[in-house]
Amino acid sequence: MSPFLIALIKVCVIFGALLGSAALMTLAERKFSAFMQYRHGPNRVGPWGLFQPVADGLKLFFKEELLPDGANRWVFRLAPAMAAVPAMLTVAVVPFAGQVELFGVDWGPLSVAQVDIGVLLLVAIGGLSVYGVILGGWASNSKYSLLGGLRASAQMISYELTLIMVILAIVAMSGTLNMYGIVAEQQGTFLAFLPDWNVFQQPLAFVLFVIATFAETNRHPFDFAECEPELVGGFHTEYSSMKFGLYFLGEYSAMVVMACLTTTLFLGGGEVPYWAAAPWYLQVACFAAKAGFFLFLFIWVRWTLPRFRFDQLMALGWKCFLPLALANLLVTGLVVSL
Amino acid sequence: MVIVKRKELSLAERLYLPEILRGLSITFSKMFKPRFTRQYPEEPLPKSDVTRGQPRLRIKPDGNIACVSCGLCEAACPAHAITIDGHETEREIEREPRRFEIDALRCILCGFCEEACPKDAILMGDELELADYDRQSLIFDLEGLKRTDAQLRPRLDYLKRINQRWPNSSST
Repeated sequence: MSPFLIALIKVCVIFGALLGSAALMTLAERKFSAFMQYRHGPNRVGPWGLFQPVADGLKLFFKEELLPDGANRWVFRLAPAMAAVPAMLTVAVVPFAGQVELFGVDWGPLSVAQVDIGVLLLVAIGGLSVYGVILGGWASNSKYSLLGGLRASAQMISYELTLIMVILAIVAMSGTLNMYGIVAEQQGTFLAFLPDWNVFQQPLAFVLFVIATFAETNRHPFDFAECEPELVGGFHTEYSSMKFGLYFLGEYSAMVVMACLTTTLFLGGGEVPYWAAAPWYLQVACFAAKAGFFLFLFIWVRWTLPRFRFDQLMALGWKCFLPLALANLLVTGLVVSL
Repeated sequence: MVIVKRKELSLAERLYLPEILRGLSITFSKMFKPRFTRQYPEEPLPKSDVTRGQPRLRIKPDGNIACVSCGLCEAACPAHAITIDGHETEREIEREPRRFEIDALRCILCGFCEEACPKDAILMGDELELADYDRQSLIFDLEGLKRTDAQLRPRLDYLKRINQRWPNSSST
């Protein structure tokens, strides 16, 4: 088979998996929130409500599109796409599994692109996602949207610093920017019995990273972008129909990508513990299980913690996380160079 | 004036993370508790003797309707939901309704008709669900209102038991 066709099929499969898991996340969000509150959650559309995301999507498609008076038409229409696309682009560099052989064809490693600077690409494209939020908030010509957009962008930029500092420490340890290199570096054992994952070698970095992903994806307890009691709906107050759906999809895709990223950087990607030569489908299952745990953590924390105050969020980001991440980077650098 | 002493936070509490883990463990344990929500169409509403549902007409065990179309329920109804036309038969109890209509959309389920009835003919059954696609089908006629003695017996027994407490003002 031609390499172009192989790449095309891999793109379709991975993109489909991303959208599918984002849709499933919307269902899981409602299901688990219901379970934590002694409720049943959606259970009427299909078995266990499994087709609820489809019904929601169809509903969004048929809703009326509203354009507020005085809105900047082009930016207003462009912003949802700008919010959704970065999350869908960054999934390209996530290494789900090693060499895949299926139907007698060598498909290569299971990721869309094996880039040598995968981590840089990820950080660069991930940094673009803030534009969708701030432009959407500005173009709506509404004070709630504008405030929501401002808050979200301030928050995302602040926590991106921590995120990048933490990733830098991992890169310094692995000595490579290639995602597959980072995964390969985590094989073997640590202290004779633990898997050699970065979560055990860099526990502080892991905690900082996970919390920063919550802030980066605008999730509870840091969801100031759509702080309902103060800002109605935040930056997407004025959005309706599928434009709102795109924001929603982008948000959940970003969560999936962040979970994949945490898995790759800290839990050895798709590596099956103590079994480096595991077949690729076991690796995919292992990856899914690890990423699934972080996705569950997003939901779990959302329904446990109340929202922070905005100044508390900024204080936490700048006065606590950034110094800690810098110190972590410094210590890691020292240890690596010695 | 009340002086509120703030509790000094311990180091673990100021670090947030242990407390967050405690909160997470609480929400996680709640996921496996039984659910409060009733799955309504599959799990029917709980009913008791006291349940005052839609008014229905009782058929006596001998097969004749208990109603003698005296019109007392029609007069007692505050919502004017009941319409009765009576006629005579050759039986010993001569009168029975030819037309008996209850507009369920007007009925307020107050139970005055049941109280007014001297013959225990109209009783508030245990049927609570009322839904249809047009108004006309929610106006029940004589055939739609008839229920057997056995179906309305729990309500009747309950009424008799309650009315024993006021033997001199009983309607039965």
